[in-house]
Amino acid sequence: MIQNNSTEASADGIDLSTASLADPEILAHPNAFYAAMRKDDAVHYDKNLDMYLISRYEDLQTVLRDPITFSVKKGFAEQYAKGFLKEYKEILERDGGGFFVNAIMTDPPEHTRVRRLLDSAFTAHRVKTLQPEITNIAVDLVEKLLAKGEGEVFSEFAMPMTSRIICKQLGVDLPSATVQRWALALTQQISRMQSREDMLRAAKDVCDLQNFLLAEIKDRQNSPPREDMISDLVHARLDDADQPTLGLDELVTLGVALLVAGNETTATALTTMFYIFATRPDIAATLRASLDDDRVVTRFVEELLRFDPPVRGITRMTTKDVEVGGVALPKGAHLLLLYASANDDDSEFDSPREFDMNRPNIGRHVSFGAGIHRCVGAALARMELKVAVREVLSRMDNIQLAIPNDEITYLPTVATHTIARLPLTFTRRG
Amino acid sequence: MSIISVTFVQKDGSERLLAGIPATGTLMEAGRSVGVDGILADCGGACDCGTCHVYVPPEWTKRVGPPNDIETDTLDLMVQNFEPGRSRLSCQIRLSSELDGLRVTVATT
Ligand code: HEM
Ligand code: FES
Repeated sequence: MIQNNSTEASADGIDLSTASLADPEILAHPNAFYAAMRKDDAVHYDKNLDMYLISRYEDLQTVLRDPITFSVKKGFAEQYAKGFLKEYKEILERDGGGFFVNAIMTDPPEHTRVRRLLDSAFTAHRVKTLQPEITNIAVDLVEKLLAKGEGEVFSEFAMPMTSRIICKQLGVDLPSATVQRWALALTQQISRMQSREDMLRAAKDVCDLQNFLLAEIKDRQNSPPREDMISDLVHARLDDADQPTLGLDELVTLGVALLVAGNETTATALTTMFYIFATRPDIAATLRASLDDDRVVTRFVEELLRFDPPVRGITRMTTKDVEVGGVALPKGAHLLLLYASANDDDSEFDSPREFDMNRPNIGRHVSFGAGIHRCVGAALARMELKVAVREVLSRMDNIQLAIPNDEITYLPTVATHTIARLPLTFTRRG
Repeated sequence: MSIISVTFVQKDGSERLLAGIPATGTLMEAGRSVGVDGILADCGGACDCGTCHVYVPPEWTKRVGPPNDIETDTLDLMVQNFEPGRSRLSCQIRLSSELDGLRVTVATT
């Protein structure tokens, strides 16, 4: 049951002086921990993570709306290959074509320069034109699953769907397993690395990824513009007299961002979608009755994103002494913005643990962030989810968990809230 | 290219007159470039975020035109106080000589 994830508003039983988001149990089912924070210690210092956790909707908005006081660039650098940065950097310089400075995890005005380019890539109107292509991919994957009657939907549906779509956009050809491996390495790079072995493995994958992109970039630098996004970036002209084209650091890190930022995130949401279908047949039935009603499907997708946001938290660092939610933070404080907690804040959303597609303020969730760093791929992600809802529910019936609910595990990362494996059974809809 | 003027009425009632601006780009871009209060434009004009919501007064609705389908969906999903007939996303309003003198009210976000 979905209630498995819920707090039932019980913040009891959580001792904030000892509990930590680094605890795998809490990472898997964090809502009670979040609720305890919102109630008693909204800007909570997590000793294990050495971070301040921002839990209330209002406080997240404050931070998201002030990108100068709360720096993405500094927050990201602090998090990067934590504990192993020097060696990691050396490996990338030696085997991966270089250690590239990230062009999007930055602050204005640096950020503004490249962000304007990305803004036009996935507008709602452009994404609409991709619908037929996205539908073909979804149909193909649903049909493959139906032919077997069972399957693990994260690796057999969600990842292949998102990676095929983004690869097509970028104009590259890669197996979904490779994209998945690279995405995992990238997530690790900004998570706390557990050991030197983990770091070495991640570094190797990131080197492969960079070498791959460098070759694709070079290929396009030497040829006339093509109809793909890497080509668009390579040939882009910026509104900046000093640096009218993107540099290599920018090309590589934007390529990386597009290839991976949209993959695990959207795949996580697609997997959660299946989980809801399997555990909430009432919701699946409501949707099935209204598959032709775009408004209903849209609202389901939005509530899905609010209810269980794929991205758990993004970091910021304070650039001066500042107060957030009544708590004085020193300059250099490392913050983690807990999107799921903000979406669960009953001062913004009534009965937040109810899955309610008719909320009047349904679009106000912060699952895509807000402010100048708001997700570039939001329209694309929503379209992928809407297409998946339609193709899955119109073709599949009797979607059921193939393992007991309490055996479902989540990836042990503070970056996302992702079901690690979701084996299901289903039948063809007659 | 023609030169026009547009006015944003901000939340607190104060007015921002953008006089003598070139009629290119969108109304959102014009407002954002001078920091009009309430034109947040999180998605940068992708018609996805709803944070560039304005109300168009009746005397202008004809010249400004109605929202397209995708814009209507975004208004319906994303904004507080969607008012069909008055609500537009300013990133979807292209500036032109026709719109010289336009006056819109910024919606609360
Ligand atoms: C359901 C799927 C997705 C979710 C939940 C999601 C969530 C997010 C969040 C929370 C942020 C950070 C906002 C912040 O710092 O405040 C973000 C940024 C970003 N996302 Fe997504 N995302 C998704 C899909 C995508 C897709 C499909 C793409 C690419 C095609 C993408 C590309 C990006 C990029 C490039 C950024 C950095 C933007 C910036 O810092 O200016 N995302 N996303
Ligand atoms: S700027 Fe986002 S919808 Fe207009």
